[in-house]
Amino acid sequence: MKKWPAIIGALGVGGLALAFTLGQVLPSLRTSNSVIQVDINDPELIKKGEYIARTADCVACHSTLEGEPYAGGLPMLTPLGAIYSTNITPDKDTGIGNYSFDDFNNATKHGVRKDNSALYPAMPYPSYQIMPDEDMAAMYAFFMSGVKAVKQPNRASELPPVLNWRWPLAYWQALFAPEREFIPASDDAMLARGQYLIEGPGHCGSCHTERGIGFQELALSNADSEEFLSGAVIDGWRAKSLRGEHDGLATWSTAELVDFFKTGRTETTAAFGAMAEVVEHSTQYMTEGDLYAMSAYLKTLSPKPGEAVTIAAKEDITTQKLLDGVYDSRGAILYAEYCQICHRADGKGVPRIFPALDGNSAVYSRDADSVLQITLSGGRMPDTPHDRMAFTMPEFINLSDADVAEVVNYIRNSWTNQGSEINVDDVVQMRHFLSKKPKTATDLPPDLSITAAAEGAKP
Amino acid sequence: MNNSLLNLPDAASTRFLRLPLTVITVAVCAFALSGCDSPKPIERNATQFDLVTTDDANQDIGTYVLPQDTSILKEPNAEQIFYGKRLLNETKRLLPDHVGAAMNCNSCHISQGKIPLGDPYINSYNFYPRVMPRSGKEVDLIGRINGCFMRSMNGKPLDRESAEMQAMVAYMKWLAQNTPKSQKVAINNAGEVDTSLIGDPVRGEVIYHVQCATCHGDNGEGMKDSRGDIVFPPLWGDESFNIGAGMARTYKAAAFVKYNMPMGIQTKGLWGHGNVLSDQDAVDVSEFFTHKPRPDFPGKVNDWPTGNKPKDARY
Repeated sequence: MKKWPAIIGALGVGGLALAFTLGQVLPSLRTSNSVIQVDINDPELIKKGEYIARTADCVACHSTLEGEPYAGGLPMLTPLGAIYSTNITPDKDTGIGNYSFDDFNNATKHGVRKDNSALYPAMPYPSYQIMPDEDMAAMYAFFMSGVKAVKQPNRASELPPVLNWRWPLAYWQALFAPEREFIPASDDAMLARGQYLIEGPGHCGSCHTERGIGFQELALSNADSEEFLSGAVIDGWRAKSLRGEHDGLATWSTAELVDFFKTGRTETTAAFGAMAEVVEHSTQYMTEGDLYAMSAYLKTLSPKPGEAVTIAAKEDITTQKLLDGVYDSRGAILYAEYCQICHRADGKGVPRIFPALDGNSAVYSRDADSVLQITLSGGRMPDTPHDRMAFTMPEFINLSDADVAEVVNYIRNSWTNQGSEINVDDVVQMRHFLSKKPKTATDLPPDLSITAAAEGAKP
Repeated sequence: MNNSLLNLPDAASTRFLRLPLTVITVAVCAFALSGCDSPKPIERNATQFDLVTTDDANQDIGTYVLPQDTSILKEPNAEQIFYGKRLLNETKRLLPDHVGAAMNCNSCHISQGKIPLGDPYINSYNFYPRVMPRSGKEVDLIGRINGCFMRSMNGKPLDRESAEMQAMVAYMKWLAQNTPKSQKVAINNAGEVDTSLIGDPVRGEVIYHVQCATCHGDNGEGMKDSRGDIVFPPLWGDESFNIGAGMARTYKAAAFVKYNMPMGIQTKGLWGHGNVLSDQDAVDVSEFFTHKPRPDFPGKVNDWPTGNKPKDARY
């Protein structure tokens, strides 16, 4: 009888030792050596790499608001503590200046560092994995020769001991980031290009695909399952479904999507939060052809199973009440005081200036995180050369939690919107979350100085 | 049925799964424990200003708390106050016979007259009647409001006893929050700009096109919504304020523009407004738009009867 605890203990220690040892070996099974010789001084290659780095949006995570581009240091909040993005400038001591092309390729596509340890899956290598080595070579040339070296040591993660061990991540990789190839779903070259950009460098699924209990994306492609790009919540934002249901992209045309990617806005809506960053750092720089390909591919995705493609029609009785001064709820009084001047009595906003609230799925979607976050913290639409000004939503942080719930419920259920009721606790939770969240560029007002306007070469 | 939640690749076995699961279980427990001190709903953080006596601006005698419109419901004349507020917000739509310009009162009195430096109504109820330099005689609140109707709104005065005029006064009285006549809220109605600066309309036009024209139009025409209601007021032309308006004067306009325009470009403040332009920028752009063509003001012959005409007066 007494032997059992000892046996279990010994088995446990032995098992852990075995798991540890195997965890050291696993990453090396993922890495590859290529035969490619990269001329990092080839200007054409550097230029190509710069474009690919834009499509992969490296700068968004590998830079901070005040910091140098690509020098890392952006915290990614996890429930257990922050992890920080790394310095990917060509500095030899603190960056990736000593990386060979193979080192770079293995880190970016396979999630394995130069020292053979596994990278956290905050780095979207499960997506980048389908990028061809030739494109990686171009990106390598750009990072070695087109990016300014910055001496800035990486910050250690704030994860507690044991949980900060990296070797268990090797198992995560074996389970959730299996080797995969890009398989075009269509013979149409344009659609295939769009699919590749969405699945690969664009890593859209990082935010728009639901994650499982292992933090893995439930699908890395549409072929995996219809969970792909069917919407998720990340950083207090609801990353909407990009599939064909009503809440998704059913009401969007391809042309609107192109406009949105290019300018960060359409006639009725504007990018905000994390997507505003994506437009500002990445999609606004992409070619019209690539934007069209991505948009056209997204429009091929079937509706998420179980979700309605259209919703029941609802008559707008809100507009007339607001015009007549019939304030039949506390929410209506709050809307008239704080919101109506910009979003208007009809909830249609002002084209390209103030987004519509009526018919805006960010407002009425089941998960109200986005509308709550932007109401409490404000935000700015992306600043691109295509529009003269980038407008902001001011923060309404001074309203009571109860009133935020009132006014959010009001706009979720006014005009033709039909949303579920939120309660005060949802506001409390969001305010609590925001108190810890670091600010990003689109949380701040635009630079409207005359110098900036001149430099921006806006029409 | 396969394990769709985990989406396991075929090669994976449960032996591989155990360790990550343990890590996750520990993580979830730690997170649950850390969430024990759940925060409570917070109340409105109302904007407050000091109250001072009208004789001595340094004597602090209390606090004015900016009211939210929801508190109008507690007033016996709530309906009248709400009507007044709507008239000030949507003057052109609700009083088309009295408003000639495509302007609302609150085109200039930003955020319903609740913002210091944005032409607030907070002290208006107690400030009048008063002898005004422009008219050279005593003007009461109703007279002052009608002055706006004839100048900034390029329209006609309202009957002093009309329900509409009484409603607007009722809103301003409510906004004063029972502040005694001998006291005032320690705020400024307009900000300061350096009036020694000379406006450069050429530079002003450049600024206008970068920072104003998106909303007010390349030709100063403003913007209307699909029903024809004003979204952004015209800054010149037949539908703009006439030359008798304060806003037609370079330095008065500059003081407004500097602290209140553009709107929707800051993440602070009820309109996300202002504080983009330097004094020189504000004077330049104001020199530009105030001097564009606009309606005349027939009553101009009676202004400044005792002299002391300001240097930026238009006549």
